[in-house]
Amino acid sequence: MNKLIPSLNLEANLQMVVAVIFGVLLCSSLLFAFWKKIKPSDLIDEMVVRLKSWWVMCLIFLFASLAGPLVTCVGLGLLSFFALRELYTHLLLRESDRPILLVCYLCIPVQYYFAYKGWYGLFMSFLPVFMFISIPFMLVMTGDTKDIVRSMGLMPSSLMLGVFGISHMAMLVCHPELNANGDVGKGLLLFLIFLTQINDVMQFTFGKLFGRHKIMPAVSPNKTWEGFIGGLVSTTIIGYFMGFLTPLNTWQLIVVSFTVALFGFIGDAIVSAIKRDFGVKDMGDAIPGHGGYLDRIDSLTTSASPFFHLIYLMLLI
Amino acid sequence: MKKILLILVHSVLWRNIFKLVIGLRFYNRKSLRKSKQYILISNHNSHLDSMAIMSAIPANNVHTVHPIAAEDFFGDRSIKEFLMVHFVNAILIPRRRAKKSGDADPIDMMSDLLKMGHSIILYPEGTRGEPGIMQEFKKGLALVASRHPEVDVIPIFIDGLHRTMPKGFSLILPYNCKLIVGEPIEFKSHDIDDILKASEKAIRDLETIPDNG
Repeated sequence: MNKLIPSLNLEANLQMVVAVIFGVLLCSSLLFAFWKKIKPSDLIDEMVVRLKSWWVMCLIFLFASLAGPLVTCVGLGLLSFFALRELYTHLLLRESDRPILLVCYLCIPVQYYFAYKGWYGLFMSFLPVFMFISIPFMLVMTGDTKDIVRSMGLMPSSLMLGVFGISHMAMLVCHPELNANGDVGKGLLLFLIFLTQINDVMQFTFGKLFGRHKIMPAVSPNKTWEGFIGGLVSTTIIGYFMGFLTPLNTWQLIVVSFTVALFGFIGDAIVSAIKRDFGVKDMGDAIPGHGGYLDRIDSLTTSASPFFHLIYLMLLI
Repeated sequence: MKKILLILVHSVLWRNIFKLVIGLRFYNRKSLRKSKQYILISNHNSHLDSMAIMSAIPANNVHTVHPIAAEDFFGDRSIKEFLMVHFVNAILIPRRRAKKSGDADPIDMMSDLLKMGHSIILYPEGTRGEPGIMQEFKKGLALVASRHPEVDVIPIFIDGLHRTMPKGFSLILPYNCKLIVGEPIEFKSHDIDDILKASEKAIRDLETIPDNG
C-alpha cells in the first residue's frame, strides 16, 4: 500500500522558498515606500501596516515550520488556542457552560499530542467522533437545559473551526509514513501556508482591481467573482511553479493548488459570515492591519484538511 | 527582597500569564510611566482586577503600589490575608471611618501611604458590582485626592475580566479582555463633588475609546 515517496533535496529548495518569500516582502516594502512618497493616501498607510505584520508573521511561520515537529506542534497549538479564545469571547455561552469550556480548551493539547505522535486514527476521530458525543453529554450532566441546544451545537463546532482544521498542518509534519524518506511534510506545510496566503492576497488584489460582480453581497461586499476567479487561476499557476517544495507530479500539483484556493475561499466566506452575525468587523485586534488571529487563518481552517487528505490519497494509497 | 518578589510575580509572571493565557491586552500603558506617584481608580467586577492592574505597572515601580482592599472581606482567613499582603502588596483597611481617636481610620491610612511617596489602587465603587453597570462612587476617593492635590489620579477601565472569573466562580477561563489606562484627570477644583463627578466621567469615557493599540 505504501508507495515509495521520492525523497527530495529539501535544503536547497527551502533556501529558495525563503529567498522568494523575503524577496516578495522586500519588493513590496520598497514599492509601498516609493508609492507613499509620490502619492500618500489612507489606503497605502493601511497597506504599510499590513505589510509590517506580514514580515512578523512570515518570520514566525518560517521558524515554526522549520524548527522541527515539536516546535511546529506547540506553535500551531498556540494558534488554535488564540483562535478558540477569540471565538469564545464573542459566542456568549451560558455561565453553566464554563466547566465544559475548560474541557474544550483541554482538547487542544490532546489533539496536537495525537498529531505529534502521528497517531492517525485517534487524530482523525478524537474531535469529530468522541468530542461530538461527549461534550453534549457533559453539558447534560451540568443539569441546566435552558438553551442547551445552542451550547451543544456551538461548542463541538467551534473545535472543528479552531482546532481540527489547523491541526492537520501539524499532522503533515508528523505523519510517520509521509515523512519516511526525509522531511516531505515540512515542504508540504510551507507549500500549503504559502499558497493559502498567496490566494488571500490574489483574491484581494484581483477584487480591488477588477471587482464588479459581488458573489455574496449580504455577507461580504469585498468578495467578487472577478477576485474569486482571478485568485483561483493565479494561485493554481503559482502552485505549479512552487511544486519544487513537494514530491507531486504536474497534474497532482494543479489539482492540489486548485483545491487549496477553492477551500481557502470557503473558509474566508464562513468566517466572514460568522463576523457578520457577531456584528463585528474583525474577530480581535491582535495583528495590526489584519484584525484577530481568526481573521488571518480563516482560509487555513478549511484548506488544511482537504489538502492533507488529497496528499494522503495521492502519495500513500 | 519584597521588591524582587513583587517584580517577579507581577511584571514577569502575571503580566505574561495575563497576556498569553488569559488574553488581556493593555492599552496606553505608557501613561503610567509619566508619573512616579499616582492614585489609580478603576471599575471593579472581578477578583482578578487588582492583579491585572499590578501587572500593568512598570517593573521598577511595582513595589510602591498598593491595591486597597476591605479587611473584612479579604482578611477573614489568615492564608488569604498573607497572600494578599505579600504577593499582591495589598493594604487592608476598615470599611468605616474611625469613631474615636486611636482606631484605624481608612482615609488616614491611605493618606499616610501617599505621604511616604507610595501609590494606591482604589475601586471607588467600593465593591464588585454588576458588569457594565457602574455604581455610585464612594466618597473615600475624593477625601484622599483632596488631601493630596499633587498626586495624579489616573483612570483605568477594565473590560471583560468579569467573564474570565465572574463573581461567585473560582474557575479562571481565558477570554479576550482589555485594560485601558487613561491620562491623569485634571480637576476643576478639589471640591469633593467635583472630584467624584470628574473621576466617574473619566472612567466612563475610557469605555468608549476606539481600539487603537
